[in-house]
Amino acid sequence: MVAKNVPKIEYVPTICPYCGTGCGLNFVVKDGKIIGVEPWKRHPVNEGKVCPKGNFGYEFINREDRLKTPLIKENGEFREASWDEALNLVANKLNEIKAEDPNKLGFYACARSPNENIYITQKFARVACGTHNVDHCARICHGPTVAGLATCFGSGAMTNGFDSIMEADVIFVIGANSMEAHPLFGRKLIKAKKNGAEIIVADPRYTPTAKLADKYLEFKTGTDVALMNGMMKLIIDNDLQDEEFIKARTENFDELKKVVSEYDIDKVCEITEADKERLTEITMDYAKAEKAAIVYSLGITEHSHGADNVMCTANLAMLTGNLGRIGTGVNPLRGQNNVQGACDMGALPSDYVGYRKVADQETTDWFNNYYGTDLPAKPGLTLIEMMNAAHAGDLKLLYIHGEDPVLSDADITHTKEAIANLDMLVVQELFMTDTAALADVVFPAAGWGEQEGTFTSGERRVQCLHKAQEPPGDAMLDWKIMEQLAIRMGEDAHPEQFHYETSEDIFNEIRECAPIMAGMDRKRLDSPEALHWPCPSEDDPCQPLMYAEKFSRPNGKAIFMPQEHRGPVEVTDDEYPLLLTTTRILFHYHAAMTRRCETLDNEVKTGYIEINTEDAKELGIIDKEIVKASSRRGSIEISARVTDNIKRGIVNIPMHFSECAANMLTNSKSLDPKCKMIELKACAIKVEKME
Amino acid sequence: MSVKVNDKYYAYSADNEIKDEGEYGGVVTTIMKYLLESGTVDAVLAVEEAFDLYDAKPVLITEPEDIIKSAGSLHCGTLNLAKFLTKYLDGARDFKVAVTCKPCDAMTIRELMRKGRIIEDNVVLVGVNCGGTLPPVPTMKMFKEVYGVDPANVAKEEIAKGKLIVETKDGEEKGIKIDELEEEGMGRRENCQRCDMNIPSNADLALGNWGVIGELAGKATFVEVFTEKGAEVLNNVIDEKLVETAEPIEKGIEIRDKINNVMVKQANKQKEKDFAGTTGDILDVLNMYKEEMSTCMKCYGCREACPLCYCEDCCLETEGPEWVPGGYTPAAPFFHLTRMVHMADACTNCGQCSEVCPCEIPVSKIWATVNNKVKEIFGYYSGVDNGDEPLPFTEFKLPDNR
Repeated sequence: MVAKNVPKIEYVPTICPYCGTGCGLNFVVKDGKIIGVEPWKRHPVNEGKVCPKGNFGYEFINREDRLKTPLIKENGEFREASWDEALNLVANKLNEIKAEDPNKLGFYACARSPNENIYITQKFARVACGTHNVDHCARICHGPTVAGLATCFGSGAMTNGFDSIMEADVIFVIGANSMEAHPLFGRKLIKAKKNGAEIIVADPRYTPTAKLADKYLEFKTGTDVALMNGMMKLIIDNDLQDEEFIKARTENFDELKKVVSEYDIDKVCEITEADKERLTEITMDYAKAEKAAIVYSLGITEHSHGADNVMCTANLAMLTGNLGRIGTGVNPLRGQNNVQGACDMGALPSDYVGYRKVADQETTDWFNNYYGTDLPAKPGLTLIEMMNAAHAGDLKLLYIHGEDPVLSDADITHTKEAIANLDMLVVQELFMTDTAALADVVFPAAGWGEQEGTFTSGERRVQCLHKAQEPPGDAMLDWKIMEQLAIRMGEDAHPEQFHYETSEDIFNEIRECAPIMAGMDRKRLDSPEALHWPCPSEDDPCQPLMYAEKFSRPNGKAIFMPQEHRGPVEVTDDEYPLLLTTTRILFHYHAAMTRRCETLDNEVKTGYIEINTEDAKELGIIDKEIVKASSRRGSIEISARVTDNIKRGIVNIPMHFSECAANMLTNSKSLDPKCKMIELKACAIKVEKME
Repeated sequence: MSVKVNDKYYAYSADNEIKDEGEYGGVVTTIMKYLLESGTVDAVLAVEEAFDLYDAKPVLITEPEDIIKSAGSLHCGTLNLAKFLTKYLDGARDFKVAVTCKPCDAMTIRELMRKGRIIEDNVVLVGVNCGGTLPPVPTMKMFKEVYGVDPANVAKEEIAKGKLIVETKDGEEKGIKIDELEEEGMGRRENCQRCDMNIPSNADLALGNWGVIGELAGKATFVEVFTEKGAEVLNNVIDEKLVETAEPIEKGIEIRDKINNVMVKQANKQKEKDFAGTTGDILDVLNMYKEEMSTCMKCYGCREACPLCYCEDCCLETEGPEWVPGGYTPAAPFFHLTRMVHMADACTNCGQCSEVCPCEIPVSKIWATVNNKVKEIFGYYSGVDNGDEPLPFTEFKLPDNR
């Protein structure tokens, strides 16, 4: 039967490529092209519901300006090139620099790409190029979580699943704006509240999440350690700690008790500018609850003391025995859709796949044996260190996959100078981003909807993606690009290590190398529920709750890691009197993809600086006025959004908009020594009227 | 055979495979197959199981042998096919299509036909009775926690005699009264609980298992013909000897009417509860639900899911004047008011909007409350034949004083 004019239409289930909640949705594919999305009501995480990015975030996929051919820069301009030419050019350069010193090469993995691509990126850096200089954007996001929680618990991930929050009696949200940043997790907060939970939100801004709180605590950016230490002293003074839990399951309590004893409430309120009564109230509510959960995100991690902040949340949870049960836990909300996966895959200078440590000689020996390589047991450089090394002329080549550091790293001027210093910048991308524009060679990559693979969400749920359409033009799968490079680099690059028939083959190799994912058989994995790690065997149920019996440290106990308040690296002064924080907004996820989605772009076309009504009045600034914002790094012109929803003395610039880029102002010299995080959420600026 | 409008029959497929595989005699499957094979339609729009029986997806079938894959009812199939038909198939402008439809699918499709968004001549509506659908994820949870059954082990679910009955793959059966479940906040979707159309009398044909008693119980479908188009279709499949029919037993007809009446009565009781505490006028409703609506994150999900929201250039997104300022959450009350004023008169209570709302706003209930008032004041009942009654928001009904 020949049917005339009838299109071929089908639904292809997939996982959203934006935030770490990991919502499911259906692609609508018409005659081989993705034309829309429809709800996937069967999906356990979001049940068919999505935020505006879920509804319109597909609109970039088939845009005309998708990169379709390799590009080579000649005389300051890009020209189209064949894959052969572009791959050979890069392969030769990699060999040249590798011969000099493999540690002059640097690799950024893409935390939005499927696990399989990321695994190959770190494998390429290590096996083909002989360096541990591979990292990704978790460094400037939840790196402190990984470092901090790994120190306290033995594993650096969220301790519970997302659904667990709905069973909590009290939820303490600090430095997280779930209603904008993880909306479908925010929904679970709404449901928890309907279930009778008390929601406490601590934030310098009165965000949409703060609006749904039962109790809101305004406090000063960068003072989280003091705040939480103050809470812990109050708890101990009132004898509300969980003695049984502390004795049976933790170590180092005495040290914690000693350190927090200095943080009496008046001193804490002076540092944090928090209201004493409100702070006391929320502390008692948290401590007295049967089941209390902590939720946090970048508000506490993107600081020079981010790891300290994270360890304080762990301390709080340990102190009150709120771990290892549904409705409790320490719940960091991972940013990118696959940043959890990027960490899991070992796109880290200090870890191989599955968090196996480079510095451990036995582990490095194992991998050298597995890959047929001769890698040293010495960790490589982090993102920031790579960029600094480039700036200093010590790093010669950067190969960046699906990341836009020119927009998202602190101090854009510094980033651009660093990049200019490189012998070669290779960028693998979907679009001509600010970073791609500075590249010497651009490789067009296949993107969301154009490949099979897996993403791992913030609750450690590993979910399958399905291919819905072909990539545009000559765009290629990331892992195939790297195979081609290895082949062209020759025998020493171990090209045979990069040959796979399908992405599933790559996943099976990952299972061999990473005990936490060993049990992830395809049948159970390729289902709406999928599987959570740790998943040690095919018999294991692979469920989200961790630490019910013991922690992941060698002796099975968690450890208190008391911290002292340090505050931001750059403090305000007479010249730069305002403290700048940077944020994300609901309608955009960074820039490359969502600003190219017509509906989302229409919703929020450009950036703004949020400034408190009183501060604005003092400066003579009115709403929507274009003002000049400057810091020691640079200055921008930006529209003012005058509002009561931000604390006096604090200003906020969403980081999505390169024409008024927040990171022109931020400070890259503000590293957290524990995890090399930069202080994206605190630097000193001034705001002035335009002349 | 000469089938006429308002005729009623017991019917079953003459093909044994279809008769066994299909629901209650496989008549829907047979009809759809015939419509394709005969060229009466170019495609069939139906609902199919995707991952499992909790995962329903629309499917556009062009090969007759694929029809059987969509056989059987999926109680967790909560989608509204009117959206798919309008948005992705251009309202059947370019080809003819037969659609299996629940009453709410049919109501919405009729409204869209009225507005010229779906081409009536190109669509055959094969209606199926519906007592309500179940939201997939909460239902799986209910099966696990209340029925004590592993959701993966469920072979079939059934709503019969006021109970939700679950049959496992091992052949075990367990039924619980729907009333009891719904009192605990489980069971059917919220909008289904107040829906008063169980037999799609606005389709061309309506098929279901109510009222089939005697020898053919469980083996035949009760068919009722509502339009000339439906009569012709049924006539043809009978003439082609694809479907066999029998006179329905008088008592069976009574039983069918009784079941329907009981359910309509229950729905009306639910409506009283749902619409209590407000006059139903838009401003009063806005005020009553302002707390819920004030959590709106402006995902546009309600607009995207609503089949009656089809404006290409939606005024919620216009640049100026800024009725609903871009980038601000919660969305301004004007967001909801605008949608209400645009389509609350035609709302068919299909429930898609509530289902997709991430902030758990009871959108469907809010709209149904306003639509109830529309019914009261203007006497316009969306989704059914209103004769010459104009759509209340589209045209004034004035006395003809010529």
